[in-house]
Amino acid sequence: MKNHFQYILVLAVLLSQLGLVYAQTPADDLMMKKREICLAASYETGSWDQYWEGTRLRENGNIGTFSRDIIMPMFAYGITDKINLLAGVPYISTDATGGQLVGAKGLQDMGIAVKAELFNRQVGPGKVSFLTTAGFSFPVSNYLSDYMPFSIGLKTREVTLRGILQYRFDNGIYARGAFAHLWRGQSKIERDYYYNNGSYYSEWMDVPNALNYHGAVGAWLLNNSLKLEANYMAVHCLTGDDIRIYNAPQPTNKMSFDQVGLFGQYFFKNIKAIQGLSILAYYSQVIDGRNMGKFQNMGAGVAYQFKL
Amino acid sequence: MKNKWIRIILAFGLVYAFSCEKDLLTHADYADYIFASLDEKGGSWKPILLTGGNQISIPTPKDVTSDDYKNELAALKTAMANLTSDQKKAVEYWTNNPVLRWNEIALELAAKYNIIPQPNADGTYTLPDPANPSKYPQFPFAHPPYTSRALAYLSVAQFDGLISAWHYKYTFNRKAPSDVDNSIVPAYAKTSLPAYPADGAVVATASRDILTAMFPLEKDYLAAKATEHMSSLTWAGVNVKSDIDAGATIGVEVAKVAMARARTDGMSKAQAPRPVSDSIKAAALKRFGWQWDNQETPVRPVGLAPLFGKVKMWNVPNVEIVRPGPPPAPGSAEFNTAAKELQDIAKKITPEQRKIANWWSDGLGTYTPPGHWNRYVKDLLIEYKFNPLRSARTFAYLNMAVMDAGVSCWDAKYYYHYPRPIQTIPGFKTILGTPNFPAYTSGHSTFSAAAAEVVAYVFPNEAQKARNWANEAAESRILGGIHYRFDAEVGITQGKNVAQYSLNRAKQDGAE
Repeated sequence: MKNHFQYILVLAVLLSQLGLVYAQTPADDLMMKKREICLAASYETGSWDQYWEGTRLRENGNIGTFSRDIIMPMFAYGITDKINLLAGVPYISTDATGGQLVGAKGLQDMGIAVKAELFNRQVGPGKVSFLTTAGFSFPVSNYLSDYMPFSIGLKTREVTLRGILQYRFDNGIYARGAFAHLWRGQSKIERDYYYNNGSYYSEWMDVPNALNYHGAVGAWLLNNSLKLEANYMAVHCLTGDDIRIYNAPQPTNKMSFDQVGLFGQYFFKNIKAIQGLSILAYYSQVIDGRNMGKFQNMGAGVAYQFKL
Repeated sequence: MKNKWIRIILAFGLVYAFSCEKDLLTHADYADYIFASLDEKGGSWKPILLTGGNQISIPTPKDVTSDDYKNELAALKTAMANLTSDQKKAVEYWTNNPVLRWNEIALELAAKYNIIPQPNADGTYTLPDPANPSKYPQFPFAHPPYTSRALAYLSVAQFDGLISAWHYKYTFNRKAPSDVDNSIVPAYAKTSLPAYPADGAVVATASRDILTAMFPLEKDYLAAKATEHMSSLTWAGVNVKSDIDAGATIGVEVAKVAMARARTDGMSKAQAPRPVSDSIKAAALKRFGWQWDNQETPVRPVGLAPLFGKVKMWNVPNVEIVRPGPPPAPGSAEFNTAAKELQDIAKKITPEQRKIANWWSDGLGTYTPPGHWNRYVKDLLIEYKFNPLRSARTFAYLNMAVMDAGVSCWDAKYYYHYPRPIQTIPGFKTILGTPNFPAYTSGHSTFSAAAAEVVAYVFPNEAQKARNWANEAAESRILGGIHYRFDAEVGITQGKNVAQYSLNRAKQDGAE
């Protein structure tokens, strides 16, 4: 269940909640100018002590409290004022307080996305913008997806297509919604038989496709130096099986979750020596799920933006 | 401009993501085939439980010139002329060697039911109750010993039933429909095998009844499978109704004989109650100075099937004659070497080692190690084009040897009651879950070595490969951190020894 979590987290939560400078992520409205570069790094720690087995929330003494740490370096580049390139690859480690299974760690998947602003126009007391993001990701290490909940990812390729619509009042208050379709491929496992509501004689598991929803309301404060936001995010798998009672999860599961969060980012606009630098912090709590851990996450990061 | 970019990226991405999508097989991919031999003398082979091929009686069939037969033949032709697409699919699915399909169904049920009971809210555990199978935790928990036994009874019943079928086929020599009426084109490769009784029907009812006894909640599912299977024999043009009825009778009767043995083989007592389990543990502590303790949270008070070692064996006269000697005491130099090896592996496991550990893991939710070996053997039976009788014989000796290996292994496990690495090595963590039973000897090693010996006997060209697999399966438990090397090595020797008893019987059954 974690697995999904990580995967989605990387491509959707991290990239979307972590604002790069100007909150440059696949799921927000902001764009960098041509030939601008942004480098960012973040650290996130998350844990859960309950998980959904199918739709039933439960505990498991042989997991106890599950924890996951993520270090995420990221890069963004303005190809043009209207087209940006984003890339990032997380290093993830997992552990649990209960049981005797060893945690996992390693580099997960390289995510690359292109974001384009298709529309941006003054309408009434603010601006309407519409953006789209096309992303894909692929595993960059030999981690095992079939080791849940400890596995660090789903170890499959994923293609994302996202639409983002925002209205931002001239006074800095904004509301944003985003919708994405996530197409996943298959994950290679280290056995050639598994049960998924029936026998499968294969070293490959189908990873279910998913829909991803975002909603956010926020404001730019302090002369556009501080961005504060409350958000909602959900990933819902379209297919997949449920974890069987007291059994381990696997990448074929229908893994879904809904979470709420807070996000803040401060830009050091007024200090000439560190102009382009920003710091950010966020918090999120999963409030509903299926075949997933009930995660609570906290993260912090730093970003630096400059022009070539 | 930007739209073009997006389109290009997306198109590239979709192609990239899905360029190597694999078809995921849900059952063995084989079609009907020409049998390597027909084993015309198979009716005289010595069965496992029946006294001979003639113990179960069936009616003398009507002659092919009789009106009754002609009516049946006409019904067959009508059915064949009006097949629906589902009926055609059924014909393709069942093939002319349905022994393989029923084995596959058994493996799927094993995987479905190989789910360990969860703790209750108060930290206690409830065990599956065969008298109330649908109440959680459902009956059965198809763990490796349970599955080895289910497969053994299934295969033995199929084998004995087919010996009986072969006996009557060559006693009565009633022709196949297509030999009576050459306008009939059977769906399967033509053979000169007499049609009465239908071997497919023997397999269908015997398998249905054994598996229904082993997996009672699957009664309806299995009945539907058997009905479709038997109907498919007519749809395929290989058997008329009286062929099928006679075959079905043999299957039902042989399953009764097998289940009569099963009811009294001691399995119902294998999951011993707490006081018995405690006394077994105390005896080991007194005898050897050590004991295994479950390390789960909450602790499972009773190990898995402590008295499986007392279950009636197929071919070993007495479990104690195959019991290995004791393991090295925890803390001894030999033990410390073995423990250090596990810690060294855990510190820096290679991708190859990890894969071996996972490949053979066959843990909860899977068809178990006995199932894994059945799957390999199924693939060999297809490759070597074995007929149903010889396929059933192979599975019967395989699964008797594997179950006997399990009984012997469980005898050693609870006699020695040896602690697992996570119990003896402080803070030790593993990549595989540690099962709920003592360490010595390794079940995977014992099951696999026994299976490999049967493979080596039946398929001499595959002997080396099979023994390498068994050694790899044994090694996998060391790499996974859940067995010491001595558990695995002694388990391999034990499995080989146990298998000899089944092979000695096989060599005298008349099939060579």
